[in-house]
Amino acid sequence: MTQGDPEYGHLSPLLEKYAALDPDDPRREALRDELVTGFLPVAQHIARRFNNRGEPLDDLVQVATVGLINAVDRYSPDRGTDFFSFAVPTISGEVRRHFRDLGWSMRVPRRLKDLHVSINTAVSNLSQDLGRAPRPSEIADQLGVPVADVLEGLEASEAYRSSSLDEMLSSEQGSATVGELVGEADAELARVDFQQALRPVLAELAERERTIVLLRFFGNMTQTQIADKVGISQMHVSRLLAQTLDRLRSRLDPDTRSG
Amino acid sequence: MTEPVAPGSRPTVDTPPLRTSITAPRPGTALLDVHGEVDTLTAPALEQALRDLLADPGAGQLVVVDLTGVTFLASSGLAVLIRAAHRATERHLRLRLVAPSRAVRRPLQITGSDQLFDMYEDVSAAVV
Amino acid sequence: MSDLDFPSSAETLDGVSTVEVRTSANAALIPTIRAVASDLAARADFDLDAISDLRMAVDEACATLVDVAAPSSTLRCTFLVRQERIEVRAEVNAGQPDAAVSTDTFGWRVLQTLADDVQALRTPGVDGNGPTVGIRLDKHAGETSR
Repeated sequence: MTQGDPEYGHLSPLLEKYAALDPDDPRREALRDELVTGFLPVAQHIARRFNNRGEPLDDLVQVATVGLINAVDRYSPDRGTDFFSFAVPTISGEVRRHFRDLGWSMRVPRRLKDLHVSINTAVSNLSQDLGRAPRPSEIADQLGVPVADVLEGLEASEAYRSSSLDEMLSSEQGSATVGELVGEADAELARVDFQQALRPVLAELAERERTIVLLRFFGNMTQTQIADKVGISQMHVSRLLAQTLDRLRSRLDPDTRSG
Repeated sequence: MTEPVAPGSRPTVDTPPLRTSITAPRPGTALLDVHGEVDTLTAPALEQALRDLLADPGAGQLVVVDLTGVTFLASSGLAVLIRAAHRATERHLRLRLVAPSRAVRRPLQITGSDQLFDMYEDVSAAVV
Repeated sequence: MSDLDFPSSAETLDGVSTVEVRTSANAALIPTIRAVASDLAARADFDLDAISDLRMAVDEACATLVDVAAPSSTLRCTFLVRQERIEVRAEVNAGQPDAAVSTDTFGWRVLQTLADDVQALRTPGVDGNGPTVGIRLDKHAGETSR
């Protein structure tokens, strides 16, 4: 976002003013409200992109607004980054976390979640008492449950951290960048005959980098058009493209491929 | 090591890719979030993410690697982390690792490599 | 000591339960072997650190062997579950005639740290075939024996 941005340019000086205020300055609250209200369309826009997944839009907007408030609070203009490149990932991150936590609470039975908590506590206590890591039987004794439950619980605690299905959903489909764009990019990809080699390499990229590559080389968009679509500056797009291409080149070159 | 995959064929057992993302939760703080298992197939992705993380540090910047979502760390992953610690030192930075889980802490502890990092149990403590 | 739910005994006469896993020598299948290692150690009531160590050690051994395996060959991994101790033997048919397990690598040093005992094994090939290359390792259930 530059000073010249027609929609949000007028908020730039307010951001600077806000960042400069003392934490206990009475003007903070009013100014924050003005900033959040001013940037609210950005949060709504991001929330809408996650709208096709069974969560009420109101909830998503609420979560996205929390992300926006955090972004406004944490943003520092003298760091050199523009507000959007800071705020967009902060807001999306908040919404993704929401889905991740939701996935855990919806997919895992209550019994296992409670067990997960009890096991962690028991492990902590036992480790201290024993001066070493406990065994499943010791945890079972401590909790007064069958060993089989502890074994099940130990496995489930892995599931919380990896929750691969939730990760897949929140980054692929709900993404602000890939989600609505994968349709057009895919059509282009289908015409590329090194698709098989390129695809796994693209999959390794962060989603924003991947989208930018797809848009530039298969969607034939200019850097400015990409910048508008993704919500960052054109200079940023240029930098990301250069870095990504270097990486793609070295990954595709059999001599430098890691083994 | 590369598996020759004939064009048009897919491996029947897929390795889920390692998920990484870099954000700036606060001005002056760069946070790399990592989810998945780090083994020989996915360690290169972690290496690249750490390179990106350390590519452009401002003076006095906090650099945090959140490994809360990492369910397995192989020796190749350990090596990547250690190399990143050395690269950070060259830039007068010390990496903060968030590693509450045993799968990450244990290898770091028994090899003594946890000394190369500032270790945290929780990401919110690490980013302040 | 828990008197609930001890698994029914699957022991042979000499007190060892054996589990053998064979996979294509492909890194994408090592996670499955790791899962078997974790599962066996947990059921054998290894302490949580020992379970983690064994899982990582098995991964390291398998990854090392897959690296030297002949194309389209098999990785064979045998778990010998004893009282308070699991012994793992993994092997492949190597692609190159001079193939061997390198013991001066970072990975091997990590393996020595994780396992209580580890050995590189090699049987020369016959009739022009590549050698059979393997790793044997031992892990105890915990620091204090019961």
